[in-house]
Amino acid sequence: MEIETVPSEPKPESNPLPPKPKFEPLKAHEMSDGRVQFRKVSVPPHRYSPLKKYWMDIYTPVYEQMKIDIRMNLKARKVELKTRQDTPDISNLQKCADFVQAFMLGFDVPDAIALLRLDELYVESFEIKDVKTLRGEHLSRAIGRLSGKGGKTKFAIENATKTRIVIADTKIHILGSFANIKIARDSLCSLILGSPAGKVYSKLRQVSARLAERF
Amino acid sequence: MIPSAMVSSTETALESLHHIKSTEPPEWLVPKQELSQAVRAASKLLFSSLKPYCPKSPFDQLLTEGFDVEQIWQQIDLQSQPLLSSLRREVKKFEKHPEEISKLKDGGVGGGEKKKKVLEQIETDNVVNDDEDDDDMDMDEDDDDEEEEDEEGEEEEKERGTEEESENEGEEKGGIEDKFLKIKELQEYLEEDEAREFGLKKKKTKAESKKEEEDTEEEGDDDDEDENEGSEDDDDEAEEEEDELGLFDGNDEEDEDDLENARYEDFFSRKKNKSSKEKAKSRDMLEEDSGSDDEQDVDKRKDGPSKHEKELDKLRSKIEEMEKANLDPKVWTMRGEVTAAQRQKNSALEVDLDFEHNVRPAPVITEEVTASLEDLIKTRISEGLFDDVQKARTSSSKAPREIKELDESKSKKGLAEVYEEEFVQKTDPASALLTFSDELKKEASMLFKKLCLKLDALSHFHFTPKPVVEDMSIQTNVPALAMEEIAPMAVSDAAMLAPEEVFSGKGDIKEEAELTKAERKRRRANKKRKFKAEAAKRMGKKA
Repeated sequence: MEIETVPSEPKPESNPLPPKPKFEPLKAHEMSDGRVQFRKVSVPPHRYSPLKKYWMDIYTPVYEQMKIDIRMNLKARKVELKTRQDTPDISNLQKCADFVQAFMLGFDVPDAIALLRLDELYVESFEIKDVKTLRGEHLSRAIGRLSGKGGKTKFAIENATKTRIVIADTKIHILGSFANIKIARDSLCSLILGSPAGKVYSKLRQVSARLAERF
Repeated sequence: MIPSAMVSSTETALESLHHIKSTEPPEWLVPKQELSQAVRAASKLLFSSLKPYCPKSPFDQLLTEGFDVEQIWQQIDLQSQPLLSSLRREVKKFEKHPEEISKLKDGGVGGGEKKKKVLEQIETDNVVNDDEDDDDMDMDEDDDDEEEEDEEGEEEEKERGTEEESENEGEEKGGIEDKFLKIKELQEYLEEDEAREFGLKKKKTKAESKKEEEDTEEEGDDDDEDENEGSEDDDDEAEEEEDELGLFDGNDEEDEDDLENARYEDFFSRKKNKSSKEKAKSRDMLEEDSGSDDEQDVDKRKDGPSKHEKELDKLRSKIEEMEKANLDPKVWTMRGEVTAAQRQKNSALEVDLDFEHNVRPAPVITEEVTASLEDLIKTRISEGLFDDVQKARTSSSKAPREIKELDESKSKKGLAEVYEEEFVQKTDPASALLTFSDELKKEASMLFKKLCLKLDALSHFHFTPKPVVEDMSIQTNVPALAMEEIAPMAVSDAAMLAPEEVFSGKGDIKEEAELTKAERKRRRANKKRKFKAEAAKRMGKKA
């Protein structure tokens, strides 16, 4: 820990108090008593090969713009992130960790990059069984309803609400701003509960129109 | 029998009589031999003592030995009947001429017994018929026998009573023939009855209804029973009417009272509230001669009711009529709203109805009217001024709205770029780019129009000039707030979309949650109809 000390003046007899010391903000590196900060993100097996494929796309913005050290621990199957000395802000580390985590959930890199760029984006995950207990064929049908033919329902929701949706078997992840996440979640829940796609579309249209008017 | 023996027997009989009188009544309940012996002796004595007064009696003395009770009684009865009638005559005579009684008194002891009897008779005259009968029987005849044979005595009394009544009626019968008015009354009553049968209403006064009662009472067994039966119903009606109107209550009681307490006023006053039966009875109580005066009085009363009474009767009848009219339900014209079912058939035809007609009367078509119409038509045709309905054309100068369509394909922009664009649009409105649909569509439509123009020029005979291509002014839906900022000069108010251009809806715009069930159904039905129409079109196109 290197604390810049202000050269202290020789104590005069009549000085009541020493002047206030001025501290500069701590760097990320200096936090927690000068120790390095780590984040570790585990890699699920099905994301292993996409990670290998898109490694450079991930690595470049993290290292270059966020100034966070990133490496893959092959043995532990984890991506490790570490602050550098010149990391400007501690939140960078968290953002990078979220970005990598989003990629691991299944989002594409350009979509996940938005997490790095914007502050107010979040990822929400929930399961189909949280909404309604479905078994066997019903579950399969529900998943089919969610994505639609060729994924068009899902894309429609994504485009209308400016979110990104990942449907992984029974798990659903939504990436976007808070309000948009809510709208997307409502649409998805209604689809799970059984409403036809057309109904969801009409609602989406109204909602998006209203969203567009708002500013 | 030897007179001395008779004298001794009379003495013994008197003794026995006294003995009987002295015995207590309860002792009579049990039959005793010595009591019966005494009674027989006493009755024998009485019988023989009365013998000189009834010359017609077949027996010289009462035969009691070996005779039944009934037989003894019959003997007594035979003697007493003519005796009673003669005594009655005597009493009436004395009533008329009281001075003769004093003569009797002077007659001495010989007539003592006779006098006693007469006095007793006078006393009993003032009692009711029935009581009088009893008294007569008791005092004059053998009360001993009666007391001995209680039950049988009662029966005998009843027989007596009926016999006497029949006697009375027998006398009355003769009286009806004598009294001319009675028959007249009867006739009047019959007429009234007939009138009532044929539906004519007749208001009866007190006297008339009373006469009815009298007639029914009198006619009893002797007169025509048919009439009586016929009149019974009417009598009931009359009585009912009386009850309803409440003109007199306790009529019967009055009669009874009057019978019991016959007074001077009853006979010698001009009161109309009298039943002639009372008079008949009272007459019978007295001697027939004394009754003749009463008859005359009665006749006078019935013949001439005074003028005042007549007027009173008229008034009363009028009042009754009016009261009855008030009680009845009103005539249909006087009731409020009356439907056809509530009044008689064709009753509305008889009444003059007056009501307002709020309808203009139909125009009478005359020749003048037709002529005027034809002139009007001619002028209109010549001028060409027809009142045709003109179609209202919608203004086509409005800029076509941008319909935001749902993009069902995977967006090519990454999420970051989407947000980037959004951000840019918010901050810098000038750099707003046109939407995808606008650009391509515009280009495509332009190309096609050019092509069509050329083809039309080739195929049509008539020249069709170049279509005027309205330059679509693209107006972006720029938020109004941004306009208030000073900096951007590039965007003007004109470029802004008016609210109705953004969204123009008619009527009540409701959200999903606000719709009622019916409205929801309606919307769905409309959507289905449109869809079906489109599907049919598509099928048509395909085929």
